[in-house]
Amino acid sequence: MKNAKMAREKAVFVFLLLSCIALFFLGSTAIYLKSTKSVYSADAEKESFVITASFYPVYIAALNVAGDIDGVEVRNLTQPQTGCLHDYQLTTEDMKAMADSDVLLINGGGIESFVSKVAKTYPKLSIINLSASFAELPEEDEEEEDHDHEDAAHEDADHEDADHDHDHDHGEQNSHFWMDIDLYRKEVESMEEGLSKRDPVHADQYKKNAEAYLKKLEALQSEEAELKEALSGKKVVVFHEAFLYLAEDLDMQVTMTMDLDEERQVSAGEVRQVLDALALSDDKIIFAERTYGEEMGDRMTEEASATVIYLDPLTRPKDGQESEQDGYLLAMQENFDQIRTTLLGAEE
Amino acid sequence: MTSLFEYNFMRLAFAAILIITPLLGILGTMVVQKKMAFFSDALGHSALTGIALGLLLGITGPSLAMLLYGLVFALLLNAIQRHSLSSTDTVISVFASGSTAIGLAILSKGGNISSYSALLIGDILSITRSEVFSLLGILLVTVLFWCLCANRLVAISIHPTMARSANISVRLMENVFSLLIAAVVMLSIRWVGILLISALLIIPAASSRNISCNMREYHVYSLIFSMFSGVIGLVTSYYSNVATGPMIVIVASIIYFATYFYGRRVK
Repeated sequence: MKNAKMAREKAVFVFLLLSCIALFFLGSTAIYLKSTKSVYSADAEKESFVITASFYPVYIAALNVAGDIDGVEVRNLTQPQTGCLHDYQLTTEDMKAMADSDVLLINGGGIESFVSKVAKTYPKLSIINLSASFAELPEEDEEEEDHDHEDAAHEDADHEDADHDHDHDHGEQNSHFWMDIDLYRKEVESMEEGLSKRDPVHADQYKKNAEAYLKKLEALQSEEAELKEALSGKKVVVFHEAFLYLAEDLDMQVTMTMDLDEERQVSAGEVRQVLDALALSDDKIIFAERTYGEEMGDRMTEEASATVIYLDPLTRPKDGQESEQDGYLLAMQENFDQIRTTLLGAEE
Repeated sequence: MTSLFEYNFMRLAFAAILIITPLLGILGTMVVQKKMAFFSDALGHSALTGIALGLLLGITGPSLAMLLYGLVFALLLNAIQRHSLSSTDTVISVFASGSTAIGLAILSKGGNISSYSALLIGDILSITRSEVFSLLGILLVTVLFWCLCANRLVAISIHPTMARSANISVRLMENVFSLLIAAVVMLSIRWVGILLISALLIIPAASSRNISCNMREYHVYSLIFSMFSGVIGLVTSYYSNVATGPMIVIVASIIYFATYFYGRRVK
């Protein structure tokens, strides 16, 4: 008798408890929703052609090609501060954003490891892989997605060092294509082509915009050529895969790559290798990214009196700045200025 | 409250939650009863090693490698535990740290250490239809196992010697149960993450234990708490754009503390 009463009391307690929690959580969610309107559901009318770029460098290029056209909306899938996308986890908001999009622009080369899942979930979403013309998308059987690191050395034969098996899960190749202005231009071209095909209404404008942007990039390249003359053949150690392309463009010799990024743990052996590589070179130049390379850079300055040049790998806008149309041009320009003042300024 | 089921990924995530939460809720009752909380946690962390070894041995698909490794790990742990001189939690801790270190060492060689965090949090939003079905499969296996063996497991957990005298094969039962947990953990870890698995295995069952006074109540309340946390967590996370796993754990923890105080007052 007493037990039955207790059991009933308990059931009532549980019921009340769960109702309170449900009310609290759903209530506060409702309040939260009222105070912040969802970015994407706000413009529910789906008249414009929606282009979603996977992350910052792609977004900047898309802004230049399609940003100012009426009836075309350019979005960035990830928060601008996300940086490189390895191991990026799609949020519910991202999934919603993609459901509303007409085109998803990706850099390719395996950076967007989530893309195979997205393609499966939204078979109708048209995905443009900007690097399709010059790089293969590593085969991504879904089981494997971000774990393929079969010690694949870089295919670039001109990087003589064998220590290239440190690349993280961007797939088997260095996919920071945008750091190579030539490749970046190809990406812009294939973006223009792809968009014109899928949205013929605005094809003329895409073309015009892309041409203008390519011109600006050309100007940047002529500046790069000047630097190349001065720096050709110098040895450099890079702390970020993205700078491999830059070093290659400047005809510099990469003696060692140590990929430092968000969650990288460095082993003592690697640090020794870097020091060895620095000791062998007269130039003692290091290209690093400030956010993740600064501590290591300081150590190298101290131990090997290396010259560390902090460059921008363009995976995110400069601190505190919004994404803007000229983000790429300005940051590249700044990279070149940095290199020039540090290396050439000192010599003259 | 619009559009919750408008998107396919939400429907799948919802289905997955509705399968995983009762699954872990049921298993959790016995995990708590047998004081195996640490065991499942160790298993979760060892999933990483499974992935790493799979890569090393060239087994395609981390799921298979993880599953195999998990099963071996569970049996090994059981065997050593039985013959060990030190206490259970010490043995498990040694195993877990050793195994995780091997996994990290292998992965760090390839600079791949960040894949660890993906396992920690899980990604329920990217679950696919076939994976939901495989979860459903293991739920059915678990329920079947429970109907057949729950009583024997309870007997063992209360008094192993007595259970043996009642003709129950203690070793077999314990091994089968550990294998079941290993399979569940390994199959669901990539979708719910280590944090959520340990949480959902332990918290609902522990909350239920706070207030229940017989086995039936224990199971029923554990199921209710588990599913409730899952659904509320998922719905809240959908609208507020907070990660799903932690949200579920927060709800479950609140329930635990509420039942803790209620239980203390009553008992």
